[in-house]
Amino acid sequence: MTILHEAGPEPRLEKARHIKYWTRCLKTFLPRQYTGNDSNRMYLAYFIISALDLLDALNTVSTGNERRDHVNWIYRCQHPKGGFRMWPGTDLGDRANDTNAKWDPANIPATYFALAALLILDDDFERVKRGQCLLWLQKMQREDGSFGETLVDGVVEGGRDPRLGYCATGVRHILRGSSAEPISIDGQTVRDIDVDSFVRCVRVAESFDGGIADEPFHEPQAGYTFCSLGALAFVGRLNTPDKSNPIEPNAPCDPHNVLKWLLSRQTELTDPDAGLDTEFHTAEEAPNTQHAEGKHVSKENGARDSKPIRQDPYQSVGSSIFDLLVDGAGMNGRTNKVADTCYAFWVGASLDIVGCVTLCNRAGLRRYLLGKTQHGVLGGFGKFPGDLPDLYHSYLGLAALSLAGSDQVKRLDGGMCLSAEARGRLPGLWDAWAVEGPTTT
Amino acid sequence: MGKYADDEQWSDVVPLPTDEGGDNPLAAIAYSEEYEETMSYLRAIMAANEYSPRVLDLTEDLIDMNPAHYTVWLYRAQCLFAIDSDLKEELEWLNETALTHQKNYQIWHHRNLIVDKLDQCEGETAFVESMFERDAKNYHVWSYRQWLVRRFGLWDKGELEFTEQMLQRDVRNNSAWNHRWFVVNGQEGAAGVGDPDIRAREMKFAMLAIAKAPQNQSPWNYLRGITKKSGMSLAHLKDFAEQYASLDQPDNIHSSFALDLLADILVEEKNTKQAAQALDLLEKTYDPIRKNYWAYRKEQLGLPAAVA
Ligand SMILES: [Zn+2]
Repeated sequence: MTILHEAGPEPRLEKARHIKYWTRCLKTFLPRQYTGNDSNRMYLAYFIISALDLLDALNTVSTGNERRDHVNWIYRCQHPKGGFRMWPGTDLGDRANDTNAKWDPANIPATYFALAALLILDDDFERVKRGQCLLWLQKMQREDGSFGETLVDGVVEGGRDPRLGYCATGVRHILRGSSAEPISIDGQTVRDIDVDSFVRCVRVAESFDGGIADEPFHEPQAGYTFCSLGALAFVGRLNTPDKSNPIEPNAPCDPHNVLKWLLSRQTELTDPDAGLDTEFHTAEEAPNTQHAEGKHVSKENGARDSKPIRQDPYQSVGSSIFDLLVDGAGMNGRTNKVADTCYAFWVGASLDIVGCVTLCNRAGLRRYLLGKTQHGVLGGFGKFPGDLPDLYHSYLGLAALSLAGSDQVKRLDGGMCLSAEARGRLPGLWDAWAVEGPTTT
Repeated sequence: MGKYADDEQWSDVVPLPTDEGGDNPLAAIAYSEEYEETMSYLRAIMAANEYSPRVLDLTEDLIDMNPAHYTVWLYRAQCLFAIDSDLKEELEWLNETALTHQKNYQIWHHRNLIVDKLDQCEGETAFVESMFERDAKNYHVWSYRQWLVRRFGLWDKGELEFTEQMLQRDVRNNSAWNHRWFVVNGQEGAAGVGDPDIRAREMKFAMLAIAKAPQNQSPWNYLRGITKKSGMSLAHLKDFAEQYASLDQPDNIHSSFALDLLADILVEEKNTKQAAQALDLLEKTYDPIRKNYWAYRKEQLGLPAAVA
């Protein structure tokens, strides 16, 4: 058996192919299949810019003039009253008037991604309508502390989920640092959002099993857990296994349980069609199921009848060291689901935020990403092994790879999901605006 | 030329194309002519703030191609209410649309809005169940189901039995476990598992599920959730955990989750030496993916490394 443990060297990042993939995304039209994401263009833009930055290729694949055009496009999406749109498609141009203004609202995620992309492009933020944006941000918070997506007819529209809270607190972080006191911008007094009520929103969405959901009693999910932890870190109210804030309202209530839930996301289950969900049918329905890989799994009930888990991999979520060496182990988003490239980021970055990324199996994670979901020909990453790459998984795969310790990608700041180098430009902006920056990150 | 340009019904509308603003726009998409045309007519009637039946046709077309458009849904909803359109018809359209765009959030939000306005939920739970036939873990659908239960007070109208059916179909469906937790504990003012009878019933339910498939984290989490919420000591679960993981038989462990639970119980009992043994088994044999975590947990015990 020991000979089998020699699993070979770790697969490589096909860096040149990834650069080619992202350069194509930057310079040519995205295929028609992205039409369903037309209203998400600002985040696609941010993926493209940030991926090339992580690959240290942004300034080599594009010229200064092109980058100036890119910055201009982002400002093209800025709303005249502050905040950003997802794309120019809602701007009604010369037909815009007070009555139809409601159909062209600024959008919370668009605003975060626009500002993040400007940071990566090393823009000076001179054209950002900072005061108006922060005033609008305040209006985007509901009575219960949650944030919405858009303001239409004076109503905060969109979900209540922490994705919006993450983007809103991210905008606050970029544009006002950690200043809780009112600040003055161009002679206008701009007060802070209600941080306490936002923190309460996160606390009530903590699940009985340690994860965090979008709303109380919903199933916890790694994306929402990331957004919740990230938002708490933005507002300086994050509890970690090492450190809790005893004075102000803070979250999560049980950081140890959150840590365990996050680490439980790592799994060797990678095949979405392997019939995981039907594997444990009751004896009446499926007395003996032929497993996809041709292995019989006995369905006789009772622990005492079942074999010890080491001898029956299909009744175990624990894999052998051999499996890990060969296939690696990705991350799933919820309990008992298969691994998916993007969750390598949502989970990895959550762990990074709470200071525990080294507690997951980073070598296994790299093997999963590089050996299983990286596309060897086109570059980029797919969602599942063998899938074609898409922008979303390609970006998050790359970001996750950095967190998993690859030296082929720039160091990522998990909390902001961009390079540590780009985030490092924030203190300079805060100084120029004379606002406080957080004392610790 | 094009679907709208050639249509008499739309001849009064001057389409309004999008202005990208300059060269090298980011994330530009190779739109089909059809999408570009639909979009420019949509922009024109939104600019005119029109509310009419043809708005419903046009928004339907657009949503079909780009369901993530965040203002088109709001526009459609305002239009439906403004022209007093038949909301049941709207639901029928949503049924089809939900099937084509299963991962879209806006569709479900829109459904909430319509069903809330209709103020009755006939057929809704059945529709939800048909969605589960396709994907028994669809997050939006489960969220919508919770909303239905709350909005229409369906707490004891067969909801617990529904979770049981879903778990009979797949005992590892964590969404169904979560829904069960919601049904038992989510009602305003309900004692939930704080009530001894309910607690006993739920513990038994989880234990039977574990007997079926011991290496299934969901019911173990459920059991732990019950003890935590009701303030019980984990020690109550010791005998049960040892049926699946006994330190006397380290080669015969049936569930890594039982072993993990046992480790926590031993910590609670201040039996750090045995706790370290359990964690060691997890690290080396039964859950090597998480070896760093189990090693970290051993460190937390404050034992000298040699003991483990
Ligand atoms: Zn994914």
